[in-house]
Amino acid sequence: MVVTTAGLTRRFGSLTAVDGLTLDLPTGGVVGLVGPNGSGKSTLIRMLLGLIAPTSGGAKVLGRSIASPRAYAGSVGALVESPAFVPSLSARANLTSLARLRGLPASRVDEVVDVVGLTGRDREPVRRFSLGMKQRLGIAAALLPDPELLILDEPTNGLDPAGIVEIRHLLQSLARSGRTVVVSSHLLREIESVCTFLVIIRFGLLVYAGPMTDLLAEAQTLVHVRPELAADRQRLHQALSTAGWSVTAPPDHASAVSGELTISAPAEHSAQINRDALAAGVTLAELTVSRDSLETVFLEMTGADDGELAGARAASAGATKAVRS
Amino acid sequence: MIGVFRSELVRLTRRGVMVGWFGLTSILAIVINVVMFQVVKSSSTPPANGPGVSFPSKTLLLSEHGIVAGLASASSMLGVVALAFWAIATSTDYSTGLVRVLAAAQPVRWRLVLGKWLALGVFTAVATTAALVANLVAAPLAAQAAGYSPSAWGTNLLTLLLGAWVDLFGALLIWGTIGLALATFSKSSGVAIGVGVGYVLLGESIITSLASSARQWLPGTTISAIASGGSSRFRTAPPSPSEWRILC
Repeated sequence: MVVTTAGLTRRFGSLTAVDGLTLDLPTGGVVGLVGPNGSGKSTLIRMLLGLIAPTSGGAKVLGRSIASPRAYAGSVGALVESPAFVPSLSARANLTSLARLRGLPASRVDEVVDVVGLTGRDREPVRRFSLGMKQRLGIAAALLPDPELLILDEPTNGLDPAGIVEIRHLLQSLARSGRTVVVSSHLLREIESVCTFLVIIRFGLLVYAGPMTDLLAEAQTLVHVRPELAADRQRLHQALSTAGWSVTAPPDHASAVSGELTISAPAEHSAQINRDALAAGVTLAELTVSRDSLETVFLEMTGADDGELAGARAASAGATKAVRS
Repeated sequence: MIGVFRSELVRLTRRGVMVGWFGLTSILAIVINVVMFQVVKSSSTPPANGPGVSFPSKTLLLSEHGIVAGLASASSMLGVVALAFWAIATSTDYSTGLVRVLAAAQPVRWRLVLGKWLALGVFTAVATTAALVANLVAAPLAAQAAGYSPSAWGTNLLTLLLGAWVDLFGALLIWGTIGLALATFSKSSGVAIGVGVGYVLLGESIITSLASSARQWLPGTTISAIASGGSSRFRTAPPSPSEWRILC
C-alpha cells in the first residue's frame, strides 16, 4: 500500500476537518480523491505531506510514518491547493530553485519542462503565465524528484480542453511507469476517465474507498428507446409497461417531441425490449444503453448540497439551536 | 541545509531585490555623507540626533575615523532597509504559498529557516560592501564640497575599512534577523516593516525623549553602537526601575 491511514483525525478548533479516516491506497495507478467543497481533501493531503500534524490517529506514506515526513519527502511530489511560485522569476529559475532545494541536478529541470510542454516558455516570468501554464509549472515542480508518489490537488484547474487531455495522458503514463498518482479534483468526468481507485469523503468522513469499477458496477443502467413515429410513444409506453418493464417518459420537451422513453433495465435486456416493442407493432428508430455517471453516483452518495454551504448551514442551525436552548 | 541556501540564493537574485536593496543602501550612504558635512559646515556643534540618524562631531569627522563615520551614522537607516528586505523575502514565501512547497520538499523547518538566514546573510554582506564602496566614493567628495581636506583619513585605512565593514555587517545582520522574525510571526512584510520602522523612527525617539538614559540600552541604539564599533554610551545593565515605568 502506498498510503495507509488509521483513525486519522484533524480538528481546527470546533471543526473536525478529517474525522477518523481509515483507508488503504494501493500502489500503482491513479487514485481519485473526491468530495464536496470543505470535505477535508486538502487537509488530508496536507497531513500526508507533513505540512500539518494530525490531532489523533496516524498514517504511513510509502511505509513511513507521517510523524517523520523527512523519511519520504524525497520520494513524494506534490501540487498542493494552487501552484506557488515567485511571480517575478522565470519558470526555469523557480524550478531551479526547487531542484536545488532537493539537491537535484539542473538537467532535471529540462526534463520536467519538456514533460509538461513548457519548452520555449520556461524563460518567461511566471507573472505572465496563464492559470493553465501555472498549473503545468506546478505539475513540473511536483515531478522534479521523479516521485514514487505524486499528489496533485486539482491538476486540471484552469486548463483548456486540449490541456486537460494532455494532463490526462500524462497521469496515465506516469501510472503506467509504476508510480502512484493521487488526484484530487472536482471534475468528476476526468476522475472517472483516468482513475482506477476512488476515495470519496464528505465532512471529513470516508464515504467510499475502492476500485472505480466496483463503484460503477453498482450504478443504474438505463435503456433509451425512440419509436420511428413520435405518435407511437403512448402505445409503446403501455406495451412495455404491460410486459413488466419499468418505463418512464422523460418530461423534457425534446423527449416529448421525439417520443423517447427510458427503461430502467440492465444492458443485456435491451434485445428483449426491442422484441416487445416490435410485438406491439412499434418500430424502434433508436435504442441506446447508458449507465449512471460517477457524477450521479457521487451526488447520490454525498448529497447534492455544496459541502461548505451545507456545513455552514449545519453550523448555523446548531448555533441557533444552542441559542434557543 | 546547503540545498535550502542554494535554493534561496536563486530566489533572491531578482532584479527588484538586488537593485532595490543595494541601490537604496548605496544612495543612503551617499546622502548621509553629503548631509553630515553640510551640517558640520554650518554649525560648530553637532545637531541633535534625528530619527534613525546620529550626527558625528567635526572633530570625529576630520579624524582618521571620519571616512567611515557616515556608515555608523546611517546604520539605523541602513538597518531598516535590511529589515525591510529580509521581511519581504520571508513574507513572500507566505503570500505566494511557496512555504507549502518548500516545507513539503524539506520538512525540517529549522533547516529552511537557517538556509534562508544564511542566504540573506550573503546578500547583507554584498549590501554592506555596496554601502562601504558608496561611502568611500562619497565621503571625500562631500568633504571637499564642504571645504574640508581631512589629512588624517589616509592613516590606517585598510584596518579602518575592514573594521567598519565588520561592524556594519554585524548591525545589519541583527536588523535583518529582526525583520525575518517579525515577518515569520506576522506573515506580512507590511506589518513587519511597519513595526520595525515605527519602532526605530518613532518608538525609540519617544522613549529617549522621556528618559534619555534609555538610549544606553534600547535595541536601536545598541545596534547603532555595534555599527560604530562600540560606544561608551552603551550599557549592558538592565533598565532601571524608573526606565521600566516609562516603558510600561
